[in-house]
Amino acid sequence: MHSFQRDPADHRVSLTLFAVMFFFVVSPLYADQAGSQSNVSQQEQIRKLEKQLDELEATAVNIRRTLEALKEPNEPGMQPAPETIAEDLTRVEALEPSPTPTPGLAAAAPSPTPDQPTDAIDIVDNSAVPSVSKVFNPDISVIGNFIGKAGEANPFEERSPAALDEVEVALEAFVDPYAKAKFFLSITQEGAEVEEGFINFITLPWELNARVGKMKATFGKVNTLHPHSLPWVDVPLVVSEYLGDEGLIDAGVSVSRLIPIGGNFLLEGTAEIFAGDVEGVFERQQPNDLFYLGHLKLFRDITDNSNIELGGSLARGTAAEAGGARELSGADITYRWKPLERSIYRSFISRTEVFVHGGDAFEEEAGGFYSSADYQFARRWLAGLRLDHVQHLDDPSVSDRGASLTLTFRPSEFSSLRTGFRRTSYAGDVDVNELLFQVLFSIGAHGAHTF
Amino acid sequence: MHRLLIAAFALVFALNAQGKTLNIVTTTADLASITREVTGDRATVTSIARGFQDPHFVEPKPSFLLLLRKADLLIVVGRELEIGWLPALLDQSRNATIRPGGPGYLDASSGADILDRPTGPVNRSMGDIHALGNPHYWLDPANAVRIAIQVQKRVSVLQPENAAFYNSRLESFKQRINEANKRWTAMLAPYRGTKIVTYHNSWPNFVKRFGLNVVGFVEPKPGVPPSPSHLLALTNLMKREKVKVILVEPYFDLKTPQAIAQRSGAKVLTMQPSVGGTPDVTDYFKLFDKNISKLVAALR
Repeated sequence: MHSFQRDPADHRVSLTLFAVMFFFVVSPLYADQAGSQSNVSQQEQIRKLEKQLDELEATAVNIRRTLEALKEPNEPGMQPAPETIAEDLTRVEALEPSPTPTPGLAAAAPSPTPDQPTDAIDIVDNSAVPSVSKVFNPDISVIGNFIGKAGEANPFEERSPAALDEVEVALEAFVDPYAKAKFFLSITQEGAEVEEGFINFITLPWELNARVGKMKATFGKVNTLHPHSLPWVDVPLVVSEYLGDEGLIDAGVSVSRLIPIGGNFLLEGTAEIFAGDVEGVFERQQPNDLFYLGHLKLFRDITDNSNIELGGSLARGTAAEAGGARELSGADITYRWKPLERSIYRSFISRTEVFVHGGDAFEEEAGGFYSSADYQFARRWLAGLRLDHVQHLDDPSVSDRGASLTLTFRPSEFSSLRTGFRRTSYAGDVDVNELLFQVLFSIGAHGAHTF
Repeated sequence: MHRLLIAAFALVFALNAQGKTLNIVTTTADLASITREVTGDRATVTSIARGFQDPHFVEPKPSFLLLLRKADLLIVVGRELEIGWLPALLDQSRNATIRPGGPGYLDASSGADILDRPTGPVNRSMGDIHALGNPHYWLDPANAVRIAIQVQKRVSVLQPENAAFYNSRLESFKQRINEANKRWTAMLAPYRGTKIVTYHNSWPNFVKRFGLNVVGFVEPKPGVPPSPSHLLALTNLMKREKVKVILVEPYFDLKTPQAIAQRSGAKVLTMQPSVGGTPDVTDYFKLFDKNISKLVAALR
């Protein structure tokens, strides 16, 4: 009896076997059933196969054609290697544009025409590439500005021996078809602030270009540049003493226009109105104490390799602590030379800006200027010289003078190492010699700079 | 939808522009030459960059605004070649027609055969890499045809009354470039597979077309000047591979290539990547005629 008793383990084995067989036998049946239930997917399969067949046919025709072409010049003694046969360029077609050149514009799915049979409609793969969701992200860049200092203490411009002086975060993108927006956040040891943030309307009629928001006023040249675009570690004395520590930056509206005057001259006029709050320069007393600015820029190519730019600026606002109006006027001249054929190795730029400070709140006018020359003597090397002179606002008979030399090494477009020797004479009785070092480094996509 | 919009814009624009000569601005002289092949005297075509300057580093001078503000069509190389200077000009151009997406903006690379498209992640440790592929694609005559086709399509939309004229000029260009290409291919046929070194990676489409083999670059990475160790490695490689020619674009310094050439026994050959590199190279055909005859003479 015992021999007829089944081992429970055997029982499990046979059960498992049965289950496996059942699965193999039954599952195709189900599959078949599912297939017959779904006529659509079968038709689709047929259509796909037909399509594949068509493609195969086309390939075969192409191969035949190439073969014929290869056979053609096969006369004895004239047998060039197959790859030396020039492609027939009259048959070249423009390739299907790849989706990359216009990010944000995904190819639209082909819409069915009314008479198109529904079973001929292709399934459209709309699954987006993961990065596609990022195409509307703005260009983001971060620029670090490290400054080191050695030499004598400067009571008028204190610097620590080493500091990450500023981190600039720049964001830029199209707002809509009509405008771009730019934000520049400045993070310094004092904290973070919005240095600039404006919308730029670039598709206005009558050749207008407008900006609304907080921005650098179009006063002269240096005031419009970000610290990382300057050819020096510091800013000229006349800029820091007349335009405030941060420069003329305020909230308002800027409108500019190209004015055709012919003769290959380019004249651009800019009018700006700001709230009238610029630390150390303008301060509103009454609600309507705004700060107004006008700027004219004239540009002309002298030759292909050189050009000249002249600028004039006028700014007027309220100086509350002085109890009246403060007026600033400026003139700038820039000469640039860059031999086109050697443009990556040699260039020269010389710039002078003259500022005059006055207004009914001030008894006397004061003035100042800087003059600079920077020469690129190798692909990655530049040397520069700058002279500063500025009269004190409270007593124009007293003035500060400075002279500085800089040497810049640019490993790439995205980083630069700079050293500058600066000698400043304050009011004729305090002389300070300083050695400044700067490392600028940027990551991310930073918008192209204007000229 | 996008195409529909372009067509609609273009239609409105075309009605305005009827009867007047098209004002076309291109970023490079090569695009200008190919465009002229299509438009003939029915358009004025001006290039921003000169043939002898590095098109990566054009200064966005305000004088270019004088060209752009009145342009009906702007044709760009694309692939981020102009990224360092064109956006700043476009923002100030006050001309909405020629903005990307507008009827007057044509990216010539959109129908061309683009090489060196990065397949993995890219970052700036790789040098001045073009994330959208190599922008020097115009140096393949087949791509010149593709550019011409795109130009013909666009100018025909902008000026439908001239469509037949543009089409016949395109066909004529195709025939002539086809004949020229046969000649160029035959000239370089004996040198297929010849190993060369180039300064910058400007010639991938050219060498693919004519079967040359670039085994190294003077620049260790795109846009990065060579280091002594790279030059030593390159010199050794050239000796080993018996490289006879170093191709240099006219805007690069010849000193370094000459030093390598001396040590490796190769010749330095200045080849122009663009129309107008020298005054005698006035169009696309002459560019290839000159480059190929110089190359053949150097390889002989």
